[in-house]
Amino acid sequence: MIQVEGLTRIFGATTAIDGLDFSVDSGEIVGFLGLNGAGKTTTMRILAGSLGATSGEAHISGHCVRKEARQAKRCVGYLPERLPLHPEMTIQAYLEHAARIKSVPNPRKAVARSIERTSLGQVAHRLIGNLSKGYRQRVGLAQALVHDPAVLILDEPGTGLDPAQRHEIRELIGELARDSGTVLLSTHVLAEVEALCTRVLVLHQGQIVAQDDLEAMRSIHVHLARPSEAAIQAMRSVPGVEQVQELGEGRFSVDASCDRELLGQATAPHGLLEMTLRHRLEERFLSLTRRGSP
Amino acid sequence: MKAMLSIARREIGAIFATPIGWTCLAALLLMTGFFFAWMLGLYAETALQAAASPWDDPVNVNDHLVAPFFSSWAVILLFACPAISMRLIAGDRRDGSLELLMTSPISTFQIVGGKYLGAMGFVCIMLAATLHFPVMLLWLGDPDPGVLTSCYLAILFMSAAFVAVGLAASSLTESQLVALLISFAVLLGFWLLGAADSQAPGVFTKVLAHASLLDHMESLARGAIHLRDVVYFLTFSGFFLFVAHQRIEWMRWGE
Repeated sequence: MIQVEGLTRIFGATTAIDGLDFSVDSGEIVGFLGLNGAGKTTTMRILAGSLGATSGEAHISGHCVRKEARQAKRCVGYLPERLPLHPEMTIQAYLEHAARIKSVPNPRKAVARSIERTSLGQVAHRLIGNLSKGYRQRVGLAQALVHDPAVLILDEPGTGLDPAQRHEIRELIGELARDSGTVLLSTHVLAEVEALCTRVLVLHQGQIVAQDDLEAMRSIHVHLARPSEAAIQAMRSVPGVEQVQELGEGRFSVDASCDRELLGQATAPHGLLEMTLRHRLEERFLSLTRRGSP
Repeated sequence: MKAMLSIARREIGAIFATPIGWTCLAALLLMTGFFFAWMLGLYAETALQAAASPWDDPVNVNDHLVAPFFSSWAVILLFACPAISMRLIAGDRRDGSLELLMTSPISTFQIVGGKYLGAMGFVCIMLAATLHFPVMLLWLGDPDPGVLTSCYLAILFMSAAFVAVGLAASSLTESQLVALLISFAVLLGFWLLGAADSQAPGVFTKVLAHASLLDHMESLARGAIHLRDVVYFLTFSGFFLFVAHQRIEWMRWGE
């Protein structure tokens, strides 16, 4: 769906992204992580067609974003960080305008579908300028969806929202991702990535420093009342457990891919107090981006 | 074409949604009304003097009222067109909405064309609001309808040139005020060429006269539609639209 090879973008003396190689398959929801200035927005803008690459290739649904720009743009729905809205228009008029410039054959029908998917029906005739930030974000999403794209590129969709709005938008993106299939999501909120994504790409100083399956970043934390070498051996004997890491004070971290029921049975004689599923995304992200150079 | 028309429609709506559109419309009506009343008074005075004198020829309404009246509009358009066009691209860049156009499956030509059509659509609405002047002239006097048509064409061509400069200036910066100043300075420069041509020696006089906006406008306002004037305005507008096109392409590939 998204295929990127050697993508480079130079702004004057600054190399924003340097030879990126990655791919996103159909149906994947991929988190695009990185510190501010890592090159996430530049990459997303190149994929969406608003910025040209200095060198390298990017394909969306098999269409080269440089040579077949129009076809590639028809396959992408892009929500930029700064919402591309016209405050003087009503939601309905704005989405019809967006549908027309995106060459949608039946704009009204497409707008009705987009409004339904983003639950904007009750406010469709209100001016965008009078909407709350949460609703504006929904309008931005509706704009990205209006031409029914195969790929959604979302650049920090939760920015500036309160926790309730952020939760709503996260749920909405989850629903849209299930319908639309392929999503590349840039965010600073790691909980959002953990809740929505199947894989993460970590960008640091313009280069991809990790492409990890999110499942591999999960671990089970076990808290034992009577920790001992025998307890560690018991945990190691559970199928799927390759590594047992001692965290101190009776706490251990084991691979999340193991059978949790068997792990429970193995640790019960050693005074099992608590067993929780944890993500290691934050530790991994920080360790990757703390480095001076990739 | 649908995409271009949608952009144009949105631009007209955006101009009317701001005080600038209404201010330009009100200023045009107010100023043209003032010029009309003033020039009508001058014309009546001249006509009376000519009628009283046995040696003077009768005063022609086309030369003494219609042509100077429509020529005076250029001053209003010199301010109005840059004001109308200053936000076309600069405004979209500032609020981030240019990204919607840049990521849509349309060409840069369609973006520039749509924005230009939108601003020209608003100019046409402004000009339509002044149609009571020719109606009044035809009702009360005996002007040549051909000259009146030519005058409106002259205004339209001049507006097209002014808006093209405004659009190019708007593509150069994110600040609408800076865009307004750039377009005003460029237009003033081309305006002053008309005054400078009499001071320049030899071949420069001819070159400056050809480059001057006002000389071509006055020629059309006299009722004579010359191909050279039409070509001048089309080339002038085309050049500045090309500048806007290249600037948007540069935003995509060059920055």
